Amino acid sequence: MSRDFPGQDGSPARSAGKSYCHQRGGATGSPVRRGASLAIDVFRARRYVSHVTRSNAIPLAACEDGVLAREIAASDAGEATAAETELYRRFAPRVRLYGYKHLSDRGAADDLAQQVMLVVITRLRAGEVHEPDQIGSFVLGTSRMMVAGQRRGESRRAALHARFDAQDAMVQPSDGVALDRERIAPCLAAVRERERTILLLTFYAEKSTNEIADALGTTAGAIRVGRHRALASMRDCIEARRPS
Amino acid sequence: MSTLQTSCPSFSDLAEYWTTDIAPADIERIERHIFECQRCARLLTEADQLRTAIGDLAQAGAIQAFVTDAVLNRLARDGVRVRSYALGPGETVRCAVWADDDVLVTRLRGDFTGITSVDAEMRFDTGEEWGQVTDVPVRNGATELVFALPASLVRKAPNAPMRLTLRSAVADSTSGNVLAEYVFHHEGALDRRTRDG
Repeated sequence: MSRDFPGQDGSPARSAGKSYCHQRGGATGSPVRRGASLAIDVFRARRYVSHVTRSNAIPLAACEDGVLAREIAASDAGEATAAETELYRRFAPRVRLYGYKHLSDRGAADDLAQQVMLVVITRLRAGEVHEPDQIGSFVLGTSRMMVAGQRRGESRRAALHARFDAQDAMVQPSDGVALDRERIAPCLAAVRERERTILLLTFYAEKSTNEIADALGTTAGAIRVGRHRALASMRDCIEARRPS
Repeated sequence: MSTLQTSCPSFSDLAEYWTTDIAPADIERIERHIFECQRCARLLTEADQLRTAIGDLAQAGAIQAFVTDAVLNRLARDGVRVRSYALGPGETVRCAVWADDDVLVTRLRGDFTGITSVDAEMRFDTGEEWGQVTDVPVRNGATELVFALPASLVRKAPNAPMRLTLRSAVADSTSGNVLAEYVFHHEGALDRRTRDG
């Protein structure tokens, strides 16, 4: 798996490029297409001055998704690295979750996250994303398209990697601090017996609600209620045991 | 930051995403939301981590629960070493765990007609309680309950007779009718070299 983005370990963007943005209405507030006219170059020059002088610059981590997308769309290659990294940090974990749901394979989900973000950033750079403010929808749509493509047995990775000319940081993806057994075991032990059985049948044996209801001699509604209660209880317990 | 923070689903709703029978429309609704809402994307990650951790615990044989054959089948598929005993009401069994066992399973046979849940307690002959659980779900007409214990826990138990009592579950757990009793003569943790030698 090749690595193409700095900061893809989930850490906030702090690599090359501007580490701040302007919210909508600021100097970068409107979409700008690359390779356009002289007027745009003048606009960029003004925008640079604006970056330096205006007081509404805010950290990238606090920028809206659409602002990041517009920043990337309006910049030359290498100029918006930090914005690209921040966009990757936000969306790659979501694509990974989506991939795991639909591909049922962690490795394939990791690859999907790489591929989707390559496409998204490449298309942003090329000015092919017509509504940067709807970047979430665009990432989801790209994810759906690529999962469908994988299911048809299409391999697009080589071509995508050839198109992408960005960074080559070698960092493994991560979604943050994983739950460890030591933290979760006492919480699982603490839920009611009935609810523990429901959790095991749902998330380990991977049985449907109706199958669980049948096995335990109750209704699907009662299983859902029990699962909701168990999850809420476990979440509270895990939060209480979170290292300070 | 997200631009759509309205109508955030609950953590439990998000966890439903990882169930096998969530409706396609609900999958789509959750996916549309998490691609717009960073907070819910984090919660969905937490839900994934939680269900993964539950699976990891089961695979490690670190669960104590009344289960069904579906869980035992999954344990078998995962290569978890399960030692099983089966006994009927009033019966006694000599039992032990071996060094490479991961889980000890006891099939508690009986007539559970008309019963929807039971309480269970385990005591040594001295009267000392080893453990108890309440509100174990029972399918009407069931003829056995399957109790799984981590082998590591059983290894630490004293070598002594232990009595498991099942009662029909009522609000006051000590006053339910006794449905069945089972006696385990625990012989401790054994090693294959000891047995084979």
